[in-house]
Amino acid sequence: MNTLRSLAFFPLLALLLGLVGCSKSDPASSPAASGSAANTDKPLTIGVAFETLQTQYWVAGFEAIRADLKKRGYTMLEAVSDGDANRQLEQVKNFITRKVDGIILVPKDSKTCLPMIKAANSANIPIVLFNRPADKSEARSVAIVADNFALTRETVAYLIDEAKKTGRKHKAMILVGDLGDINAIGRRDGFDAAVKGNEATIDVVARIPTEWNQEKAQAGVVNALQANPDIGFIFTSSDFLLPSIVSALKSAGKYHKIGAAGHVILGGFDGDATAYQMLVDGYLDATGVQDVYFEAQQSVQAILDLRAGKTVPELIRDPGFVIHQGNLSAKSAQMWGAQIGKK
Amino acid sequence: MRAGTDSVFRRALASDYFVFGLCVVYAAIVAPFTPGFATPDNFGNILATLLPLLVIALGQMLVMIAGGIDLSVTSIVGLASIVGALAINDDTGWLAGSALATPVGVLLMLALGAAVGAFNGLAITQLRMPAFIVTLAGMMAFSGLAVWLTQSKAINRLPAAFNLLGGTTAITFAIVVFVAAFLHLLLSRSLFGRWLYAVGHNPRTAHISGVPVAGTIVAAYVASGILAALAAILLTGQAETGSPVLGQRILLDVIGATVIGGTSLFGGRGKVLWTVFGVLFLKLIDNSLNLLNLSIFTITMVKGAVILFAAVMDSLRRRFADARP
Repeated sequence: MNTLRSLAFFPLLALLLGLVGCSKSDPASSPAASGSAANTDKPLTIGVAFETLQTQYWVAGFEAIRADLKKRGYTMLEAVSDGDANRQLEQVKNFITRKVDGIILVPKDSKTCLPMIKAANSANIPIVLFNRPADKSEARSVAIVADNFALTRETVAYLIDEAKKTGRKHKAMILVGDLGDINAIGRRDGFDAAVKGNEATIDVVARIPTEWNQEKAQAGVVNALQANPDIGFIFTSSDFLLPSIVSALKSAGKYHKIGAAGHVILGGFDGDATAYQMLVDGYLDATGVQDVYFEAQQSVQAILDLRAGKTVPELIRDPGFVIHQGNLSAKSAQMWGAQIGKK
Repeated sequence: MRAGTDSVFRRALASDYFVFGLCVVYAAIVAPFTPGFATPDNFGNILATLLPLLVIALGQMLVMIAGGIDLSVTSIVGLASIVGALAINDDTGWLAGSALATPVGVLLMLALGAAVGAFNGLAITQLRMPAFIVTLAGMMAFSGLAVWLTQSKAINRLPAAFNLLGGTTAITFAIVVFVAAFLHLLLSRSLFGRWLYAVGHNPRTAHISGVPVAGTIVAAYVASGILAALAAILLTGQAETGSPVLGQRILLDVIGATVIGGTSLFGGRGKVLWTVFGVLFLKLIDNSLNLLNLSIFTITMVKGAVILFAAVMDSLRRRFADARP
């Protein structure tokens, strides 16, 4: 009898979930409320779902979006999935349940976000991907991304010019990001494009797969420096890995200022506060800066334009810029890491 | 009067429906001031995300009843997800375009889960290694293998029939109800169920009584591996993507939900229904705090506190049971 009662519980549980759900309604999220938001000047509610807040770049992006929405008088609902794609899908569905007026998403990768975009499409809620585009599919979204390939190529080209000035050939290392992240692939390809044709100056002897993990990056750099102690050129696909490189270089006795004998030419991507400080201190040669404020502003604007029925391109490029010792004082005001560093 | 209160408290703790009562009370308290909580759509969301977690937690429950712990379940999810996706994806899959892609892929993933579970169980019983170390090392090794197989890349374009298994709540629900009912009967009506509880209570006594202790423990780990692989099928279908890091962050939820339900960390206690309630309670907390727009850090802290509270309750139950005349 007990067994039968227990077995009967499972369908009853489902029924209960349905009944409780049907028995109450949430006035704030009723279709009427949502509809009025679409047609009047009523402040909008935007759901912002980030995959992680583990690096300065994502925190800066999150805060830039929050500031932009606040400036416009809009409400921001926030969610961070801590690297869990299924959890992020649940969070996006929660936003839809609350009938938000738009969703800004930083997905785990370009593929797992497709069901999220489809869910938003089905609910007729505009969805914008911040800094990470989705794979091509029938799902409709707008992505605001840095031109990772071009900006990396430009940054590495600058570093190669610096290497040429020394008049000798440099053994080089690149720290590659998570290859499930299209941004990491763009940066790797940008690095390879810059090196191509400059083999007389640059010999790439180490490619470190970091999966965007500082511990893996540090272990990889230490191993590469042991195997090739004469490495003289390092590019990291993200500035948040710079502390791992600095630590490994210090252990190997190879951390020297620009111009000093034994200086390892060092470049990065993102433009965070660590990179800014290293530029100021004269240890970092250059970094490609993503304009996080431009990306945040464009993300919110894209949602407004989509809601207004305007045509918005699927991909909006953040051109970014290269900051180096030669233009540091002129460009630092535009560098988000410099603003954080100065705070 | 004091004795009467104690007695009520002890009876409440011992009740099968204690955690379900907590769920109802919690939902009633948060519903009025949590926007979007008490809506059909939201309960649909809770149900859809609860089911894969329940499947893994049921496997953890079996292992914990036998007095063990399986920390490798999340790595099995990632490994099974990526191997299945490698086999059946429409671009480069070994079974691309075949009508058998979905059934063969499902069997492959389940077999992989069983193999990892058997490895864990044999290492624990034959090499007499602590379950904690074996499954922790397994978690690292199998997670690494999953990442290495595709160099961290996710794989999508999976067959539509496969995606339906996890992406359609009704189908997922039917699968999970079948599994839960089967495990309920297994534990309450079969000789294996009695063996499992006996091994968890006291393996030495169980051995003297003629219970095949090693075989029972291995079977529990195999079942846990198969259930983790089943969860991988559901989660992969839900995300429409195979990923080596799928489920990597849910170990705390799995163990937490199992313990909250009442399965004992000390072995010998646990029921399917308790685990259902434990998962439901954890999901209600997760979902409501998320809807209240609290940060991931706050949600994690609250969940950690609830799990700690459940572990304290587990200790209290054990103490009451020991003190019973």
